[in-house]
Amino acid sequence: MTVIAIAERVFGLLSVVAIAVAVATAIALVRGRVPQWLRDDVALPLATAIAATATGGSLLLSEVAGYLPCTLCWYQRIAMYPLVVILGVAAVRGDREVWRTAVPLSAIGALVSIWHILLEQNPAWGGPCDDAAPCTIIWVEELGFLTLPTMALTAFVAISVLSLAARTR
Amino acid sequence: MATQNPNARAEARRQEKEAKRRAEAKRQRLIYGGVGLLVLLIIVVVAVATVGESDDRIRLSEVAGDPQIEGEPLPAIPESGEDPAVGSPAPVIEGADFEGNPIQVGDSAQVVSFVAHWCPACDAELPEVVAWQDAGGPPEGVDLVMVSTNMDDSRQNWPPQQWLADAGYSGEVLVDDLNASAFQAYGLQATPSWVVIDDDGEVLFRQSGLLDPGQFDELGALAADS
Repeated sequence: MTVIAIAERVFGLLSVVAIAVAVATAIALVRGRVPQWLRDDVALPLATAIAATATGGSLLLSEVAGYLPCTLCWYQRIAMYPLVVILGVAAVRGDREVWRTAVPLSAIGALVSIWHILLEQNPAWGGPCDDAAPCTIIWVEELGFLTLPTMALTAFVAISVLSLAARTR
Repeated sequence: MATQNPNARAEARRQEKEAKRRAEAKRQRLIYGGVGLLVLLIIVVVAVATVGESDDRIRLSEVAGDPQIEGEPLPAIPESGEDPAVGSPAPVIEGADFEGNPIQVGDSAQVVSFVAHWCPACDAELPEVVAWQDAGGPPEGVDLVMVSTNMDDSRQNWPPQQWLADAGYSGEVLVDDLNASAFQAYGLQATPSWVVIDDDGEVLFRQSGLLDPGQFDELGALAADS
């Protein structure tokens, strides 16, 4: 049992929680019944926590575990890392309009994640595996389906939905 | 004075109300934070409880081979143009398979596949190789040999012998060492890579990347015709 293995499992379980949060919030948004406590007090701090966890997790896995980030991983990082500051400042200031920045950034990150997941599932699209960091390599697979880009996609979707929930009046 | 008292009372009530609101907001933040920490704690406990012990895992040092390599290393495969290694003598590798049985690469007509167990492209191609092998494989006099290289016991499909066996591969396998010396000697930089060697030990063909299923027979024929 290693710390990294435990951390990977924690990230996998957190992703499951993020999926549940995203689905529940999306349903509330569609029905136009976002609870006041979620809208006013929880949505933006939770979105910040998700972005911070994704950022910290990616750095832990690359800098401590030694998993080399591929090109697509970097593109997803570019979309995720600024969200920690953008959402954090918005959470402190109670800025309900942060979705205008957070949703486009998350959407770009989510599109890259989807392409990354497709590459993982179709390795032949990615060509041969060089030693450096092929985008087709699956470093982590938790609970049978949560690979790193899947976790990133979960985070991007949850952040988008929570940012939109904070916007509602 | 008569007008100040009601104003002062109203101000006091407003301040009291604001203080209550702030206290309530603080209490709610503590509750939400507490719930968040509790969820995180539960997740960590579940993670620790469900991650299995890994001390009994086969380690890389137990699997890696110790192949002896003779001959000049081949240059890297160029990105385009003719391969300068074609026609050159192939490095001769004397090594062993996972059970320690001697395996030799480079001194006879062979189709050699360099694979890494963690490599998704290798994993995608392996069933095609097994199907080719089951259908008869290379022609008489030509051997199919896999070289298990770039091994890493922290990555997927470890150990490689299990990965190959699970895919149904039953042919010869030479196990590379910790430094991927055989892989390096053949001037390779990616997996899967294919090398065809003739009966005199000369390189006829090298390619990195997945082969089309039809190419397996072509490579076999190339080695056989030499």
